[in-house]
Amino acid sequence: MSEAPRPRVAALALAVGLVLADSSIVVLALPEIYRELDASVAAVSWVLVSFNLVMALAAVPAAHLARRLGPGRAAAIGLAVFAGASLACALSEHLSTLIAARCIQALGGAAAVTAVLELLPATVGSERRAATIWATAGATGAALGPAVGGLLTELVSWQSIFLIQVPIAIAAAVPILAVARHEAATGVLSTELRQTGRPHLLANLALALISAAIAGALFLLVLLLIEGWRLSPIGAAIVVSVMPLCALLGSRVNGWVSSARARAAAGAILISGGLGGLALLPKAEVALTLPPQVMIGIGLALVLSALTETALGGRAPQAIHGGWTISARHAGVVIGILAVTPIFTHDIAQQRHDAIDAGTAVVLDSKVSPLLKIDLAQKIGDRLDEEKGKVPTIGPAFEPLPDDPGEREEVVQLREELQDQLNRGATHAFSPSFGIAALIGLLSLLPIGLARRVEL
Amino acid sequence: MSGERRGAILVGCAIVAAVVLVGVYLAAGGASYTPEKTQDPCKHRAWTNPEGLQEIAQQFTLSALDGAACQLGVSRETLARALATPEEREHFTERYDITDAQLAKAVRAGLLRAVDDAEEAGALSPVLAGPLRETLRDIPLDRAIELINNAESLLDQAQGILGPAQELLEGFLP
Repeated sequence: MSEAPRPRVAALALAVGLVLADSSIVVLALPEIYRELDASVAAVSWVLVSFNLVMALAAVPAAHLARRLGPGRAAAIGLAVFAGASLACALSEHLSTLIAARCIQALGGAAAVTAVLELLPATVGSERRAATIWATAGATGAALGPAVGGLLTELVSWQSIFLIQVPIAIAAAVPILAVARHEAATGVLSTELRQTGRPHLLANLALALISAAIAGALFLLVLLLIEGWRLSPIGAAIVVSVMPLCALLGSRVNGWVSSARARAAAGAILISGGLGGLALLPKAEVALTLPPQVMIGIGLALVLSALTETALGGRAPQAIHGGWTISARHAGVVIGILAVTPIFTHDIAQQRHDAIDAGTAVVLDSKVSPLLKIDLAQKIGDRLDEEKGKVPTIGPAFEPLPDDPGEREEVVQLREELQDQLNRGATHAFSPSFGIAALIGLLSLLPIGLARRVEL
Repeated sequence: MSGERRGAILVGCAIVAAVVLVGVYLAAGGASYTPEKTQDPCKHRAWTNPEGLQEIAQQFTLSALDGAACQLGVSRETLARALATPEEREHFTERYDITDAQLAKAVRAGLLRAVDDAEEAGALSPVLAGPLRETLRDIPLDRAIELINNAESLLDQAQGILGPAQELLEGFLP
């Protein structure tokens, strides 16, 4: 242990942030991936689901492995596997190979994250402080993931999301190698093997439910912004960055209120309220997503830290209980995405049909000349064919605008009315799914409330 | 302030924020922000004082679409898109399990309803309406669809039935 703790703590936190960012970093890239790899929304959601599913299944076994093998070696190997799989993700040309690489990435990530929790107490000198750093790094990574992924997708490509993780994982692994070398040289593990206590069932159940609600929120909001309202990935990244910014604000409240149960309950209520707001958007305007996002961001900081602290508090060994929280959170993400995807894909097909019907009515009843109507109808039909299965952008069908000022005004008005109908359809298609995510969030209040006597 | 009190305040604030947000969005019309429902094609739609051949033709087309859609049990808008191209029509008949004969019958019924509506609105003289009905009763499907898409030609055809002069037809129209 010759290195100063500070760079090692930074490396350990970076490793946790990097791996947990991966549970959400591809969210903004999904539309790009499914266009480039010619997949459906349901199929491409497995890029997200596979990673979270493997994390959920592998976290606890990985924590046991870390304790047997030595956390330094487990973290270093985990990060190396994660880096290699990230490279494979970037080089994937088919959805199947991308999903397979994501599974391997999750295996490496699970080993690294749980091993780090075993390394942190020895590095920072206290289990409580270690748990706080670990939970904060994980929440920051998960919250920043979508915005970073969106920026990289827009500025470079979706592949760059994975490529950039390779040097970061290697950089995080370098300081950890010293611990791994020490373990290999001495054969002594830096942590004693203690009896594993039972995981905190209620806290982990609440974590799973709230993670399902948050995953639904992120996944749906990104799809609404990009596929429904046609924002660019960078535009959507800027919009959804409100959530991590507000999460930072929310983390300051954590110090003001000591009761973990109150923070968990308040966080769950804020997240559910925010999701309820997204389910009831009164117009297709980005500004209207901001108040719900503020509430979700603050709620996220409150509930995740409170539940993670509770699940780890006074429990040993930390890696195993950390593994349970990782497992619960990622299982929640999987449940959230799998629960809302079929509802959302069914609703978007129905709303697309209703919006096109309403749009056709607008064209039929408009005052433009019949010849222009027929011309417009053909162009609109072509747009619908080009964007089969999606909510179409109708603007190009109206280009070029007529030269006659009166006719131009009528056509512009027609375009706006038609786009309004499509916006209504696109926005409403997401409402039931946001509503279900809100209900799942509210459901987490049950284990939080039941844990009253257990002191959550 | 005790920790418990701070916790209660935090939970109270969260409840208020959630209720206010949902309430404001509901009051702003969040529950009704959906695509407008299309009208029932079987319900009569009044003609809106058309002026000139072009506007009458438009109203005529809409009435014909309503009549045909009513008979087929689909919306006017769905039928309008189905009749736009032969490919769309084929897709439509497959999807709704409709034969060409059923479609032809419905389109003819729609055209006849349009003649009735035009007559009722005072946009078409009974002198023109009678021969038009006769023409439409046995019209082939492709021609009927063509007429729905371009009702002006139908009214021109009516002129052909009655006499040579364009002015004569215009004379019958308001």
